[in-house]
Amino acid sequence: MRLSWDPESEAFRAEIAAFLDEHTPEQLRDGRDWIGEEADEVPGWARDWQALLFDSGWMIPAYPPELGGRNATPLQTLVYQEELAARGVPRSVHFGGYGIVGPSLLEFGNEEQRALAPAAIRGDTVWCVGMSEPDAGSDLGSLSTRAELDGDSFVVNGQKVWTSYAEWAERCFLYVRTDPSAPKHKGISVLILDMDTPGVEVRPLRHITGNAEFAEVFLVDAVVPRSNLVGELDNGWRITMGSLAHERGGLWLEGVGYAQRALDGLVTLVRDRGLAADPVVRRRIGELHEEVRSIRALGYKGFASFAQGSSAPEHSYMKLAASELRQRLNEFGMDLQGAYATVTDPELAAQGGRFQAAWQVSLAATIGGGTSEVQRNIVANRVLGLPRG
Amino acid sequence: MVDFALSDEQELLRDTARSMFTRECPPSLVRDACYDVTPDGPATARSFHATHLSEWSALGDGPLVDLALFLEESGVVLAPGPLWVTASWALPLLRAAGHPDADAVAEGTLSATVAVADAAGVWEPGDHDECWFVPHLDQVDRVVFLRSGPSVLVVDADGLDSAPIEALDRTRPLWRVRVPAGTAVPVESGAVRDALDRATVGLAAELVGVGRWLQESTLAYVAEREQFGKPVGSFQGLQWKLVDASLHQERAAAAVAYAAMCVDADDDDRSSAVHVAKAAAGGAARHWARTGLQAHGGIGYTWEHDLHLRLRRAYGGDHLLGDADWHRDQLAGLLLD
Ligand SMILES: Cc1cc2nc3c(=O)[nH]c(=O)nc-3n(C[C@H](O)[C@H](O)[C@H](O)COP(=O)(O)OP(=O)(O)OC[C@H]3O[C@@H](n4cnc5c(N)ncnc54)[C@H](O)[C@@H]3O)c2cc1C
Repeated sequence: MRLSWDPESEAFRAEIAAFLDEHTPEQLRDGRDWIGEEADEVPGWARDWQALLFDSGWMIPAYPPELGGRNATPLQTLVYQEELAARGVPRSVHFGGYGIVGPSLLEFGNEEQRALAPAAIRGDTVWCVGMSEPDAGSDLGSLSTRAELDGDSFVVNGQKVWTSYAEWAERCFLYVRTDPSAPKHKGISVLILDMDTPGVEVRPLRHITGNAEFAEVFLVDAVVPRSNLVGELDNGWRITMGSLAHERGGLWLEGVGYAQRALDGLVTLVRDRGLAADPVVRRRIGELHEEVRSIRALGYKGFASFAQGSSAPEHSYMKLAASELRQRLNEFGMDLQGAYATVTDPELAAQGGRFQAAWQVSLAATIGGGTSEVQRNIVANRVLGLPRG
Repeated sequence: MVDFALSDEQELLRDTARSMFTRECPPSLVRDACYDVTPDGPATARSFHATHLSEWSALGDGPLVDLALFLEESGVVLAPGPLWVTASWALPLLRAAGHPDADAVAEGTLSATVAVADAAGVWEPGDHDECWFVPHLDQVDRVVFLRSGPSVLVVDADGLDSAPIEALDRTRPLWRVRVPAGTAVPVESGAVRDALDRATVGLAAELVGVGRWLQESTLAYVAEREQFGKPVGSFQGLQWKLVDASLHQERAAAAVAYAAMCVDADDDDRSSAVHVAKAAAGGAARHWARTGLQAHGGIGYTWEHDLHLRLRRAYGGDHLLGDADWHRDQLAGLLLD
């Protein structure tokens, strides 16, 4: 056990740090977290940023250069993730393409489909991921959007919901039911859907933040060529989220980096509001610091297992722990502002309304990507080995 | 940037300790040494220490990471005797004072405790006439009185004017003792702080062991116990409580290992890491004690069941050397003052 990596890894750190210091776009620099903006398409600066990362081999470092990487080792990848997380800099403003679609195409696609991966990762093609439906959320396996094979094409009917980036997207990684008679996890397939296919209608949905980031996607007799089937027919369940296997050891760093920055902001806020001597406030700050630091230690402990090739049960806790902590940090940041707690005017609220804005965004963290309740079920059954209910 | 991978030697140390404790320290021994109200209790604890633990005292001279691995295992079984206080606290203080007994303590031929707190339970060197909350006084050969200056006064444990404090956790007997006359030897305040950090992390490591036992026993019990025709561990209302306690436990274990590394490296993050470790470990052990008791139902509330031995140690250990809230307040001090 030790507190620093080897000199080669630290040299690697210096390289990515210098790159980020030089090239990070202004919009991502203020130390806050980019929380989305109203736009009809991916903003130009965000496209340029993602393309630059790709071309410089800094998009997914573990990949070879032609896929936006530099054949980084697991430890180098972690160092890279540390540097991004410490700055709160996202690689992309649409996670689906590089985080889910690109890696899944590479792993499960045929040659032609694998050729779509570089553009997905570079952000040249914007993708959305169509999993959730009005009647299939946590229970994704019950999805009912139907794709019927008719000669060389599928005819798709149904509805997706909460589909992030659907308005921006040119393509959708679409989960459909191809065999309604099979047990529910068996008859699912994944299709590549062109969003301009006739019969596809996108209706933007506003978040509670007021921004329209996700959407409903309606599918009425949309025709998808059979060649757009990813992997085998009826075997789509295994093409599930989080396929970025190389980065799984450090995915938690983003949440922990976020929490640390929020805590730093809280410490400043406590001082600015003259509350540094208040015993109740002090106790809360101490408690939050304990949580941030112990969760961070847990993430690193999990990385040690990951790097040795074993499963890291520690990491099953990380999304749950970090998302709930993030809400508490932001809520406390509001509480500390007294009557201004719910004032969102950046001129009036402390630190430009950072806590008010971030709190609203953080409310999604315990829902999207698997709710906290579902995370607890997963830990109960898979990590603690408790009998299923 | 923290590497948690254990070296081969560390894995060996942990495995050796684990199998030794499983073999030599059954629950009946803990009960004989600590809970049977017979005059033999302290003798059993002493002899267990002399036979099985004293040889490990030298860990107190080595990396805290190793000592913490060992103490976690001893916390799992609630090993009786003064190893924690001897190795993690008294030994570094004796070394700092250049005391001639230090070698004998490291070799395991002498054991020692530390007397520092006043009647108010503040663990800071002072000039009070009486020290409180002195652990294992009846099981050791020497007492290291930590006095203002700072300075230390080392005396024979026999013949001191002392009295036991009746308390919840009898696996760690606490005493009050009058400070005897004698000349205290000055020690560097940095060394005193270092020793206190080692004692705090060592205690936290034991608490991680206590939490681990509670977690393992509870998970086994709820998988086996059936009500309404199903294992009670299949009920979601219970499962989520177990998940939350397990998360607390996992972060405590990680925080303790991290703190031990920081102390060994004298890292800048050291003070914060030590407070985080003790706050998390005390909190997690208590969390598991409450959750484990609830999940066991009536059986867990019986004297016969071993759960209450851990419940007592969890609360006792949390309140020794500052409870979780005290350590959180220290963290606030580091951040805000
Ligand atoms: C900001 C945001 C972005 C999203 N982006 C996408 C996207 O791009 N693509 C996509 O496909 N989806 C997306 N989603 C959808 C997301 O995956 C779902 O919202 C999530 O899986 C929960 O499903 P649901 O909303 O239908 O809630 P439900 O599943 O209906 O859950 C309702 C409540 O019941 C609880 N519950 C459900 N099952 C259990 C159980 N077994 N035990 C205990 N409690 C249970 C839940 O935890 C929740 O509290 C997004 C969601 C958000 C908030």
